[in-house]
Amino acid sequence: MTSAVARMTSEPVKQWVRTQLWDQVPIAISVIDHDFQIVEANRCFAEAYGPWQSQPCYAVYKGRTERCERCAAASTFADAKVRVREERGVLRDGKEIHYLVHMVPLVEPDGSIPCIIEMSTDITATKILEQEKLEAERLAAVGQTVAGLAHGIKNVLMGLEGGVYIVRSGMQRGDSERLLRGWHMVEENITRISVFVKEFLDFAKGRAPTVALVDPNRVAATVMELFVETAGMARIDLRAELAPDLAPAYLDEDAIHTCLANLVSNALDACQVSDRNGGHVVLATREEGDTLVFEVTDDGIGMDSEIRKKVFTNFFTTKGSEKGTGLGLLTTRKIVQQHGGRVAFQSTEGVGSVFRLEFPRDRLPRRDGASGNGSNGDVGR
Amino acid sequence: MSTGKKKVLVIDDEPAVVTYLETLLSDNGYETTSAENGRVGFEIVKRDRPDLVCLDITMPEESGIRFYRQLKEDPALAATPVVVVTAVTGFGGDPEPFRKFLSTRKHVPPPEGFLAKPIDQQEFLETVARVLARAGAPALPG
Repeated sequence: MTSAVARMTSEPVKQWVRTQLWDQVPIAISVIDHDFQIVEANRCFAEAYGPWQSQPCYAVYKGRTERCERCAAASTFADAKVRVREERGVLRDGKEIHYLVHMVPLVEPDGSIPCIIEMSTDITATKILEQEKLEAERLAAVGQTVAGLAHGIKNVLMGLEGGVYIVRSGMQRGDSERLLRGWHMVEENITRISVFVKEFLDFAKGRAPTVALVDPNRVAATVMELFVETAGMARIDLRAELAPDLAPAYLDEDAIHTCLANLVSNALDACQVSDRNGGHVVLATREEGDTLVFEVTDDGIGMDSEIRKKVFTNFFTTKGSEKGTGLGLLTTRKIVQQHGGRVAFQSTEGVGSVFRLEFPRDRLPRRDGASGNGSNGDVGR
Repeated sequence: MSTGKKKVLVIDDEPAVVTYLETLLSDNGYETTSAENGRVGFEIVKRDRPDLVCLDITMPEESGIRFYRQLKEDPALAATPVVVVTAVTGFGGDPEPFRKFLSTRKHVPPPEGFLAKPIDQQEFLETVARVLARAGAPALPG
């Protein structure tokens, strides 16, 4: 062993390296006791969050006067599991920070946990980029949407002109049957313009979700009420499987209602165009770990690989231009992403489809209405 | 039994457009049939041998592009003239970009007529008459 290596591995030097590491590492580290008091912190932590001595973690990290809802530190004290979370806090200079925090229990030989270590990395710049990317994608989609809208309007316009031609020629010939047929075309195409414009506006709106503490099952139940009659008429068995004791969540109730209504409507359509009679659609809610899940399952026509690839494409519809605008799932995805969540689906041609809206609770928007953290990808499986 | 009228097949997924074009054509002395997509349209072309096809481009199931290629690559059917009637943004009513679009993939001749939606009635009827005259397609013998 060379003298240099021997010196570096000597106990005093190793201790010196550990001290240097503790103070130089660009990660804010704090040690929290059972009362959520910070009992130790490194230099990076003090520089970012300010004085911490004799203060609880929620006061220093977030400027709160009481413990956080769904406190991850409390969960780690209870089950000794390492947790990783994205959080928002307030720096000593008052600026908002997004940070990724690892919570690691310090476990004694007897299994007790006197303290946990919280290691926080500043991910504010990444979050800003994520939000800018989401906004850029939205604007790009709006551009494509305008082109698609023009395309759709041309067809509607042609339908209107056709209706007018048939009305006029019906009048000239004194043919009231022809006149009525033309008038019907005019009426249908006016309705189509209304639907088209409404869906386009829903999609183009860039507003952040207006969130409130909402019972997810209540949203699901109102969507069920909306479709129960339609399903009955089509002899489709529409059922709800709502998890009891589901915790409320900060959601934009109207927006989530729109998402679920889109999914249930698609599922009913998929059953109606299937070769089988009737069909089954289930709207389920459940908690999977720390993720709130809405799931719509149908045993309708299903999708082949070509259709699966185009599911989130603007103006892509398999319903024919009479029924679909091709904006429903795109709008759904936008809303889910604004809530920090993602849309996942599985589909097999001739078997059916499952669409899932997954909302990790720690990524949901906050009470103040700020948008969610998410640019989670959507996954077709 | 033939009526002596020229037969026009309208392929479009928009029922209103089909009704409009079929009414306009039959009011002007043509016999019409229709299909809601290219796949059904191709079956009708093989079976009925229309004198002309009015073709939409964007349709579910099978697009007008695929139909057009299939038609023009089939020696028995390639002479059937096609008037494209489309709302596809970007072609702007000009057949040249459309021809280029087709030839970038696999060479097929440009369509005999090209009209942007919404159509001008007079221009539509003139195009149909001109393309039919040029094709010299006689009415099917009775």
